[in-house]
Amino acid sequence: MQSRHYHPQATNEMSSKMLYGAQVKTANIRDTSIQPYRTKEESFEFILPEGVRTVDITVNLAYDVVNPDMRYNLHNITRRVSLDR
Amino acid sequence: MKSWILGLAVLAVALPGAAMAALDGPKAKTIDELAKMFDSSRCKSCHSQIYEQWEQSHHARPMMGVAGGLKDTPLAMKGATPFSPDDPSKATIATFPCFKCHLPQAMTHAEDSVAVEYAKALVAQDREKIGKLQITCLVCHNTKAIVHRLSVGNPEPNVLYGSKDVANHPDPVFKSVKRSDIMQQPLVCGQCHGLGPNLEFENPVQCANLYGSYLHAYIPAGGTQSCQECHMKPINGIADHLIGPNFNDKEGTIARYQKTLSLDVQTLGYEWLLQAGKHIPKVVVNTKINSSAGHRIPDG
Repeated sequence: MQSRHYHPQATNEMSSKMLYGAQVKTANIRDTSIQPYRTKEESFEFILPEGVRTVDITVNLAYDVVNPDMRYNLHNITRRVSLDR
Repeated sequence: MKSWILGLAVLAVALPGAAMAALDGPKAKTIDELAKMFDSSRCKSCHSQIYEQWEQSHHARPMMGVAGGLKDTPLAMKGATPFSPDDPSKATIATFPCFKCHLPQAMTHAEDSVAVEYAKALVAQDREKIGKLQITCLVCHNTKAIVHRLSVGNPEPNVLYGSKDVANHPDPVFKSVKRSDIMQQPLVCGQCHGLGPNLEFENPVQCANLYGSYLHAYIPAGGTQSCQECHMKPINGIADHLIGPNFNDKEGTIARYQKTLSLDVQTLGYEWLLQAGKHIPKVVVNTKINSSAGHRIPDG
C-alpha cells in the first residue's frame, strides 16, 4: 500500500517535532493540504511480483476526523489492470 | 379564575430564555450565569427553523470537539500545555486561550471564577456542565456583529444585528434589529475561523487557518464566493444555521466532502524496460484531486 497525507503540519518552532493541539502549535512548517482551485496530482508505481499479470487497484480518499481511528471514506475507486493485451 | 391567571403569569416568567437580558450587566461569576446571560432559547419561539439547525451545529457545542470529546482537557491538567495551571483552582480566563473563539463571550463577560469552574468540570469530565457553554445567537448577532468599532461604535447591549433593519423586533429585551454591514461577509466568520498563529497570548496558539486560507489562497486563485454562500445556503429562503459540516453527522459530512472533492483515477499496466532483455511488470496509478472549497482542506 502507498499513501499520501494532506494536511497542514505545525511545530512550536522551538524544535523539529510536529505537534498536535492548538495550545502547543505555533506555526505551519509544511502544508500538503488540498488547496482551492489547485489540482493535487499524484503518481503511484507498483512493481508486480513475478508471474502476476493482472491486479485490482483500489484508490481510497478518506478524511480522518481527529485521528485515523475516526475515518470517513469519501471515494473508493477500484480498477482491474492487466498487462495482457 | 384568579389562580388560573396567576398560574399563567408565573409560567410566562419561567419560560426558558426569559432571563435573557441586555449584555451590559456585571460579568458572570459562574458557568450558569454566563450560560444564562447568553441564553438564546427564547429565539426559538419565532425562529424555530434557524434554532433547530443551530442546535445541530458545532456552534452549539464549541467546547465538545467532535463526538463529545472535551478538547480543552489538557488545559486543565498540570504540565500538559504551557497554559495549564498547577491546579484547576488557579485557572483564569487567560489560561484558556481557546475561549477567544470557542467561547468569545467568556473573554468579555466572565470573571476568572468561570475559568476555575470550567477547569474543574474538565477534570471531572462533566459534559453536562460544559455543554451549557455555547456560541449562541447573541454571540454572532451582537458581540461579533461589528468589527469596525471605531467607525461604527460598539454593539449596543440591547440590540440584535442582522442582514437588515427591523424596527420593531417583538422581544422584551432586544427590541430592535439593526443591519450589520458585515453579517453577510466573510469577515464576520473570519473573526474566529482563523488567520494563523494567535500571537497576542503569552504563548502562541495556532488553531484554525481557514480565513487566512480564504484570503491568501482562494481569493488570489479567483474565488469570489463568501463563507455564507457555501456554508449557509438558504433552506426555505432562510440561511442555514447548521453552518455545515457537522462532523458528528458522518453520512452528511461524507456527502458534503464527496461533492467538494473530486477524485480522478487513471491506470496503466505495462512491462517496463530498464535494461536490455529485462522487462519489469509495472502498474502506474495516476490520481487527481480537485477541490471546489473556498479554503484548504482540511482546516477549521
